[in-house]
Amino acid sequence: MKCKQYYEELIQNVLDGEATEEEKKILDHHIKECEPCRQHLHELKKVIAFVQSSSHIEAPLGFTESVMAKLPERKPVSKWKQ
Amino acid sequence: MDTIVKRLIREVRKGNQQAFSEIVELYKDKVFQVAYRMVGNLHEAQDVAQEAFLRAYTNLDRFDIDRKFSTWIFRIATNVAIDRLRKKKPDYYLQEEVKGSDGLTYESQLASDEELPEDQVVSLERQEWVQAEINQLPVKYRTAIILKYIEDLSINEISEILDIPPSTVKTRIHRGREALRKRMRHV
Repeated sequence: MKCKQYYEELIQNVLDGEATEEEKKILDHHIKECEPCRQHLHELKKVIAFVQSSSHIEAPLGFTESVMAKLPERKPVSKWKQ
Repeated sequence: MDTIVKRLIREVRKGNQQAFSEIVELYKDKVFQVAYRMVGNLHEAQDVAQEAFLRAYTNLDRFDIDRKFSTWIFRIATNVAIDRLRKKKPDYYLQEEVKGSDGLTYESQLASDEELPEDQVVSLERQEWVQAEINQLPVKYRTAIILKYIEDLSINEISEILDIPPSTVKTRIHRGREALRKRMRHV
């Protein structure tokens, strides 16, 4: 299953958007012949797509009001500790 | 955006408490989102997000106005969330809470301009599944993955938020991605 570490790192770089054009070509070429690497790249892309597709959640109604209701007094020298 | 926020911060510093509510309005969804993805349940997320804004308010004098406010508030929010996760419960218990969302429904939190009800059911299941998988990740990988792929932040911003070098951010993203891949690959 494990291909050379070189390709593993190349896959990570490509996904991070940090690979050079040259490196991308090397990987493209490699995955045409290497099934495990092709699969690995495909699965990682799928994971990213899943996570990115999580729809965005909004703060509940009345959120701002409830924060404002809890604000402490602000003093120049604050005694409040977190 | 930055200019508006700077003006609001100056207002608050001068003693105009009400200006803070505008800051909260601007950032509440992003902060709540991070909190929810980190802790995995809505009630706790609300506590975390509120606490983050309260801390920001009390420490506003320490904020360097030439930096990005979003970076700062994310930093506070992730710290509050991490503290909670450390203190409160082992990870397996968090899992339980994702499923039985108490009182507040998951659905009520979704943006209303999205999808028809039928599609929503399918996508809700997948949403819950993705969230459950994210919650299985060790906290430090989880945080990096959330900031990168849900908040869509750059490596450098994440590095500032988490106060770790960019190379460490990358490693955490790689490991988080890899861990998710192993769990999600058969879908």
